[in-house]
Amino acid sequence: MTAAALPPGILGQRRVRRMGRGRKSLYVGIAIMLVMLVCAFVPELVAPYDPLAFDYNAIMHPPSLAHPFGTDNFGRDVLSRVIWATRIDMQIAIFCTLFPLFFGTLVGAIVGYRGGWLEAIFGRLVDLTITFPFLVIVIAIVAVLGPGLLNMYIAVSAVGWVFYAQLMRADVQVQRQSEYVAAAKVLGYGEARIIFRHLLPNAITPIIVYWMTDMALDILLGSSLGYLGLGAQPPTAEWGVIIADGKNFMSTAWWISVFPGIAIVLAGVGFSLVGDGIADIFRRRR
Amino acid sequence: MSLNYLVIRLAQILPTFFLIMVIVFVLVHLLPGDPTSALLGIRATDEAVNRINEQLGLNRSIPVQFLFFLRNFFQGDLGDSIVLKVSVTSLIINRLPVTLFLTAFAAILAVLLAVPMAMLAALRRDSAVDGAIRTGFQIGLSMPVFYIGIVLLTFFAARLRWFPVGGFGTTFGEDLYHLFLPALTLAFSLSAVLMRNLRNGIIEVVNAEYVDFARAKGLRNRLVLGRHVLRNALIATVALFGLNIGTLLGGAVITESVFAIPGVGRLMIDSIYGRDYPVIQGLTLTLAILVSLVFLVTDLVQASLDPRIARR
Repeated sequence: MTAAALPPGILGQRRVRRMGRGRKSLYVGIAIMLVMLVCAFVPELVAPYDPLAFDYNAIMHPPSLAHPFGTDNFGRDVLSRVIWATRIDMQIAIFCTLFPLFFGTLVGAIVGYRGGWLEAIFGRLVDLTITFPFLVIVIAIVAVLGPGLLNMYIAVSAVGWVFYAQLMRADVQVQRQSEYVAAAKVLGYGEARIIFRHLLPNAITPIIVYWMTDMALDILLGSSLGYLGLGAQPPTAEWGVIIADGKNFMSTAWWISVFPGIAIVLAGVGFSLVGDGIADIFRRRR
Repeated sequence: MSLNYLVIRLAQILPTFFLIMVIVFVLVHLLPGDPTSALLGIRATDEAVNRINEQLGLNRSIPVQFLFFLRNFFQGDLGDSIVLKVSVTSLIINRLPVTLFLTAFAAILAVLLAVPMAMLAALRRDSAVDGAIRTGFQIGLSMPVFYIGIVLLTFFAARLRWFPVGGFGTTFGEDLYHLFLPALTLAFSLSAVLMRNLRNGIIEVVNAEYVDFARAKGLRNRLVLGRHVLRNALIATVALFGLNIGTLLGGAVITESVFAIPGVGRLMIDSIYGRDYPVIQGLTLTLAILVSLVFLVTDLVQASLDPRIARR
C-alpha cells in the first residue's frame, strides 16, 4: 500500500509513533553510554572489589548477593573485573578512532575539495585498503610490531582513517557544487577558510554517525584481539581477555564469560542507538 | 555483460595486485632489527643467514630486494616457515581449502538467514515481527564473533552434544556437520548487515511503478516478489556482500581459533605466537589477493544482474 492510499490520520499517527520511538531509543542509548562512562571514569567507586585481588575462599562461586556476577578461577569478582574493563574498552573505542577521525576527515575534505590528481591517488588507496581484510591487516601489523594495546592503536589508526576520508570526500564533493560555497568564493575567502568554516560543519554529520559505529566496531575488534592474546594483556581486565579467561570453564562456570559478553553487546547497542539517534535528528532538521 | 567489460576489469586488477605486493613487502621490512634474523630466529647459523641473504637478495638495495620478492612470488615461492620447516606455499595450499569451505558455507548460511528475514521484515514493515527481527539482528551485530562461537559451542556441542566440539571431517558430509556451528557463528554478523540492507532495498523497490505494473498484469504475488522486487533489491546487496567477504575472512581467523579448525586463520594466529614471519607475509598476501578476486567476481555478478553497470 502506498502512502497516498492511506487515510491521513493513520499516516500522521504512524509518523508520530515512529518519531517517539526514535527519541526513546536515543535516550536508551545515552543512558547506556552514561553508565559506561561512569564505569570507565570512576570504576573504584562503582566496583565492589579489587578486580585483580585473588580470593582463594571464593573460587568459581556462582552469582550471589556478595558476587552478583560470580567469581572466576582465582576467586576474582567478575562484576568488578567487568566494570574495570569498561575503562580499557572505552579507551580502545576512543584511541582507535581519534587519529582516523581527525586525519581522515581532513584528508577527505581536502581531496574532495581539490579533486584532480589527488583524487586519482586517493581512489587507488581506497581500493587497496578495502582489499586487505581489516582484521587480517591489523593482525599482521600487530604481529610485526608485537602484541599489546599501543600497537593495536597504531595498526587500527594506520588503516582506519581511509574510511573516514572516503566518507568525507564523497560529501564534500557534493557540497562543493552548492551555492553557499560559490558565495564564499565570490566573497574572496581562502581555500582553508572555505574548507574548515563552510564545508566541514555542513559535511560532518555522516562522519559523526560513522564514528559511533566505528567505536562499536573497534570495541569488537579490541576484545577479539584481547581474546586472541594480541591486544590487552592479562591480568588486565578487558572484556575479551575476561571471556578468554573463562572460556575453558563455560560448562561449569558460565558466568565468567557470559557477563563480559553482555557488556560488549550493551556497549555496541549503546553506540549504535546514539549514532542512529544523531542521524535521525539531523535528517529531520534538513 | 560484454567481453570488453571483463577485459577492463581484469586490467584494473593488475595495479591492485602490484600495490598489494608493495604493502606486504614494506610490512615485513618494518620489522625491528634485520629481516634475516627475524626470518630465521635468533639461533640461526651464519651459513643459514648467508643463504637467506643470498636467496632473498637481502644484501642488495631495497628496490632490487623487491624485484627478488616479485620473482619468487611469480615462481610460487613464498619462502619457508621457520617453525614448521616447510614451504609457505605448500602450507597455504594445504590449509586454504578448509578456510574457503568455512567461508563459503558461512556466506550461504548468511544469505539463507538474511533473505527470508528481510522479506518478512520489509513486507510487515513497522510490525512487531519487523521489530523483533531487527532487534535480533542488531544484537547479533553487536556480538563479537568469538563470543557467539563460545556460546554456540557450549550450548550445542558441549551441553546438548548435537554437534562436534571442533575439528574437521574427512568426507563432504562430515565437513558440513563439523563446520555447521563455526559457519553459523561466522554467518551471524554478515546476515545482519545483509538483512538490514536488503530490507531497506525491498521497501524502496516494492512501491516502484514497474512493480505496480507487474501486479496490474495479474502476475502471481510470488512471481512479482521473486522476479521484480527481489532481483532489483538484490543488486545493491550483492555489492555489499562482496565488500564483506574480507570481513568474513577476517572473522574466519577468529572462528578457526575458537573451534580449533585447521585453516589459514588458525595458521595465522599460530604463526604470530611463533613469530613465523614468512608465513604471516605469505598469508596476508594470499588473503588480499583472494579478496580482490572476490571483488572482481562481485562486479561481474552485479553487471549480469544489472546490464547498465557494464555500459558505464
